[in-house]
Amino acid sequence: MDIKRRSFLKGIAGAGAGVAATPLISGTALARESYKLQDEHVGMLYDNTRCVGCKSCEVACKRANNLPVEPDEALGIYDAPRDLSEKTMNIIKMYKDEDETAYIKRQCMHCVDPSCVSGCPVSALNKQPNGIVTWDADACCGCRYCEMNCPFNIPKYEYNEFYGKIVKCEMCINTNLPKHGQPACTEACPNEAVIFGKTKALLAEAKRRIKESPHLYVNQVYGEKEGGGTSVLYLTKAAVPFSKLGLPSLPDYSQASASESIQHTLYQGLIAPIVIYAGLAAIAFKNRSGDKEE
Amino acid sequence: MDHAKPVGGKIFTPPILFLSLLFLIGFYFLVVRYIYGIGSVSNLSHHQAWGVWKVMGVLVGAALVNGGYVTAFVVYIINKGTYHRFVRQAVLFSLLGYSFAGFSLAYDTGRYIGLLNFFIPKYMQTNSVLFEVGICITAYILILAIEILPAILEKFMPEGGQQNWAASLHAYLNKILFLTVAFGVLLPTMHQSGLGGLAFLFGQKLSPLWQTPLISLLYVISSIFMGFCIVIALECLTVADFKSKSYVNMLGTMMKMAFYVAILYSVIRWIEIFRNGAAGQAMELSFESLFFWAEWILIVIGLYLVSGQKKLSSPKNLFLGSCVLLTGGILYRLNTYIIGYESVPGLTYFPSLPELMISIGMFALQIIIFITIIKIFPVITKE
Ligand code: SF4
Ligand code: SF4
Ligand code: SF4
Repeated sequence: MDIKRRSFLKGIAGAGAGVAATPLISGTALARESYKLQDEHVGMLYDNTRCVGCKSCEVACKRANNLPVEPDEALGIYDAPRDLSEKTMNIIKMYKDEDETAYIKRQCMHCVDPSCVSGCPVSALNKQPNGIVTWDADACCGCRYCEMNCPFNIPKYEYNEFYGKIVKCEMCINTNLPKHGQPACTEACPNEAVIFGKTKALLAEAKRRIKESPHLYVNQVYGEKEGGGTSVLYLTKAAVPFSKLGLPSLPDYSQASASESIQHTLYQGLIAPIVIYAGLAAIAFKNRSGDKEE
Repeated sequence: MDHAKPVGGKIFTPPILFLSLLFLIGFYFLVVRYIYGIGSVSNLSHHQAWGVWKVMGVLVGAALVNGGYVTAFVVYIINKGTYHRFVRQAVLFSLLGYSFAGFSLAYDTGRYIGLLNFFIPKYMQTNSVLFEVGICITAYILILAIEILPAILEKFMPEGGQQNWAASLHAYLNKILFLTVAFGVLLPTMHQSGLGGLAFLFGQKLSPLWQTPLISLLYVISSIFMGFCIVIALECLTVADFKSKSYVNMLGTMMKMAFYVAILYSVIRWIEIFRNGAAGQAMELSFESLFFWAEWILIVIGLYLVSGQKKLSSPKNLFLGSCVLLTGGILYRLNTYIIGYESVPGLTYFPSLPELMISIGMFALQIIIFITIIKIFPVITKE
């Protein structure tokens, strides 16, 4: 009897360990690939060789999406956000060293396989069929896991509200996009430094520009592969690499796919938990009488 | 049946009054938080969205309360019935710990009404590790409540074994105990692996000293040795029946299990550190590496304090060893969520005083409730 119980226990422990180790050893069983860019996904292409840093896009964004100004500290009269925040979801930042200046436009990248969507416990963040990643006020519980896991630090919770919202770029999906057919920032840009379109077409355009003037650009379209790809793509001038613009260098798979591969292996169909539960219950049932005499 | 008895004694002792004061201060700031928002009392910000509330309440708290889970495992699964005397206080402490973890989740979440969406099918997001963690915590609180119910019921059962509603419910619970116990072991395992899994999605924002695909496994393993340690430390503080040789022996055996589990944990951790190529990073002089080594110094001292049979039979070593190992495990969690986490290079986070006071106040309340319950209800076994 004693021996039987032990071997049973061993069997279960073995099964448990096996389940836990599968994704790490074989890497295949239930591995979930990074999602792929779809034909209907829309996005933006920003090319800092064309940007003059006029910030028209920032102003247009705030106007279209009804965002408050963030006055500068010195005079308190100009809108001068220093970084993305709960009041600013699109910003132009500048990199400067002795001989080079370069701009970078930051907003949600609308990742092809977003961490924020994968992590959100209550489906408040969703990737729409057109690829735009949206936020749903009715669903969100304000856990701020999205703030923690977004590789680009995009979602911003309103810490100074008693019941704050998550603020992030939604490519004007409810504001400028239905009205004018494109986001406010691309519409406002005087130089076509940032343009709107189907992401696949934008990627082709970006590659065309690099091919046409290879001396002008770093030979990389940021967002083609980074973190499994993003719907917003960047080009940068040859002298200033992306790392200097504050963009992280990410692997070419999405963290969401890596994380969900492990989750799915452990919980697919709840089979492993149910088997282990049944085993534990059986053992506890067997041990039940002996326990009382103690 | 075990022979648990109420501890008795006065309820409002000076330590309890002091803890109540801490609780009131925390409660005051909690009210402020609900009126003026999270930013008004805490240093949480866009670069550190999770701070001491989540870490204290959910990560550390939930790991500390794993005593209920390991004792249930030892008693009912490995069938060491003699350890039964440890079950009740461990389960009670787990119950309180998890309730507070759930509670701190509630005041940490910015749109708390949305927490209900965890239970509305339309909103459930089953790919999310956080969803899994939330469901596990809720379910486990329920299970723990069922596990502790017999102690409460015994208070209402008539002397001399007559039947009344309490007695029949008690008997029924005993019958289905094996079902609850199995949940009581499964759920915390899932939940602990989830707490590790949460950090996996941070990707590169978590330093390679801690980031690994095995982080879920490491959280489960470390929660097991921490579970043993918390049972031992609590025993030393509350029961301290050191005159009984068998009692000290049992503590020693549990400590031995904790010892081996902690070794296993350390081995996997270090394999992953080398595999990640993070060993160099550990050698650099930085805030991160400082905390990293603090973690390991604690683990090593803890292991040393309880290595060998002689030390295992010394109550002093058992108590110190379990406290030090426990602190090492806590620091591991603190490190993965705060110290090793960096979203914007150069920006650091330190909790504000009101933020800390809320956590401390709520922790004080937890201890008050624990002490009060063991005074009134038959939880603790003394020979
Ligand atoms: S950039 Fe961040 S917020 Fe935007 S889709 Fe990607 S993960 Fe989500
Ligand atoms: S804060 Fe809201 S949107 Fe972000 S992960 Fe939590 S529930 Fe989802
Ligand atoms: S509007 Fe165009 S040119 Fe002006 S800052 Fe924005 S992207 Fe650059």
